[in-house]
Amino acid sequence: MDTSRASAKGKTILIVEDDILPAMALRDELDGAGYHVLDLTGRHHEAIRAAQDHKPDLALVNIELHGHDDGIALAVELKELGIPSLFISGQTTRARSAQTAAIASLPKPYSPIEMVNVVAYLLGRLNKDQSLSCPAGLEIFGPALDEATPQLA
Amino acid sequence: MAARTSTHTEEAALSLTLAVVASSPGPLLLLDGEFNIVAASASFSRAFEVDAKAAIGQQLSSLGAGEWAIPQLRSLLAATISGGAEIEAYEVDLKRTGQGTRRLVVHAQKLDYLDLENRRLLMAVSDVTDTRADAKIKDDALRQNLVLLQEVRHRVANSLQIIASVLLQNARKTQSEETRGHLRDAHHRVMSVAALERQLAGSGDGAVPLTAYFGSLCDSIAASMIGDAKQISLSVAGPGGVVDARVAVSLGLIVTELVINALKHAFPEGRPGTIVVACDFRHANWSLSVSDDGVGMPKDPALIHTGLGTSIVEALARQLLATVEIGRAHPGTRVVIAHTPIALVKTDVEREGKTPAIARPAA
Repeated sequence: MDTSRASAKGKTILIVEDDILPAMALRDELDGAGYHVLDLTGRHHEAIRAAQDHKPDLALVNIELHGHDDGIALAVELKELGIPSLFISGQTTRARSAQTAAIASLPKPYSPIEMVNVVAYLLGRLNKDQSLSCPAGLEIFGPALDEATPQLA
Repeated sequence: MAARTSTHTEEAALSLTLAVVASSPGPLLLLDGEFNIVAASASFSRAFEVDAKAAIGQQLSSLGAGEWAIPQLRSLLAATISGGAEIEAYEVDLKRTGQGTRRLVVHAQKLDYLDLENRRLLMAVSDVTDTRADAKIKDDALRQNLVLLQEVRHRVANSLQIIASVLLQNARKTQSEETRGHLRDAHHRVMSVAALERQLAGSGDGAVPLTAYFGSLCDSIAASMIGDAKQISLSVAGPGGVVDARVAVSLGLIVTELVINALKHAFPEGRPGTIVVACDFRHANWSLSVSDDGVGMPKDPALIHTGLGTSIVEALARQLLATVEIGRAHPGTRVVIAHTPIALVKTDVEREGKTPAIARPAA
């Protein structure tokens, strides 16, 4: 646990989920693991504002958002801002069909505890660190992940 | 004399032909080489509201209000009469003003008979509008059902997500270490049911491959309960098998309990070790075991803690008509849940008339 806290330091996470209870559980679990979690939101425009203001390292995006907001469209916009997204959704087929918009997909139901490992793994991969093993149930979108990994200067 | 007889024979033959066409149960037209109507069946008349007698000698294309002047039909008939093709089943829409479109299936064939000069074409027509409409309704209903099933699956996943989250939140906010432990255990039990839902979403037919399901469960529990420092390995072994969802849920809950127990009691003070979940569900006599190589159970039976976990395991085993055996693994502990129908003659459960849970053999 100590090593994970060290690697979590300084990393910011944006959660875009309009189901408030799972969102809170996620936030608290990630916060407990040492990540800085931005204010919870389920709205597209709030998420974009938060992304522009705080430049999170990773966004956890539910595909199904309130009203007409669409998680996939949001992920595309976040990608343009240089922020990689992880789809968290019950709709795995929709997630898979949008695999250029996000770097991976974790289907519901997941345990917030599992999410801590997933976030650690993805942030590691984005930093070209392959030391952690891929958590079970996480579906990686290879090409998108490669694209999001910053090249060494 | 001979000439008159042959004319009479000819007339008789022609009249027979026309009678055959006229009485055809399905709509039928006899056409000549220029697509004039030689004969039309009564059924054609009824189906397409055309006067059969008045039609004779008319061009097919001038029937009714000209709705039969369909270019593709004409080219196909032309190909047929020239011997180049035989229309097996050509689908065409008949558009009648003020009437609604009918979907037709047309069969056309050049008649091979003694007169080589006067070519004849037989054209049979089936109105399939209603059949097609019914098929479409069925297709739509099927598709609708699949969409609804997806929605239900989705809602179940969301519901489980909420419940799992709430339990974890409760655990966080609780001061009492003991209560926190109970709530986290409850979270794990919910996740064991949730993991099944994830598994089913992938499979599609309600059959659960146990090795994959237990593997997913163990990963979930390990992620939460085995920290970085602890050197405990948790793995799944055995031939496995495939069971239906109801049985899988019970087995998953049993595995969750036994694994959590082992993690809590078998390896005190950072002792390293191994926990193995093994199962064989290929036949009617099935078994499931969770073994560890830890400190083993206390020698004094009075010290063995019987909490909620134990009663859950016993209750589920009873429901599955299985026995629970706890034994020493030298070192460590081994718990075996076994279903052996031969051994279960005249048990209380059977007297109640319940039927045993049947495991499907592995595919």
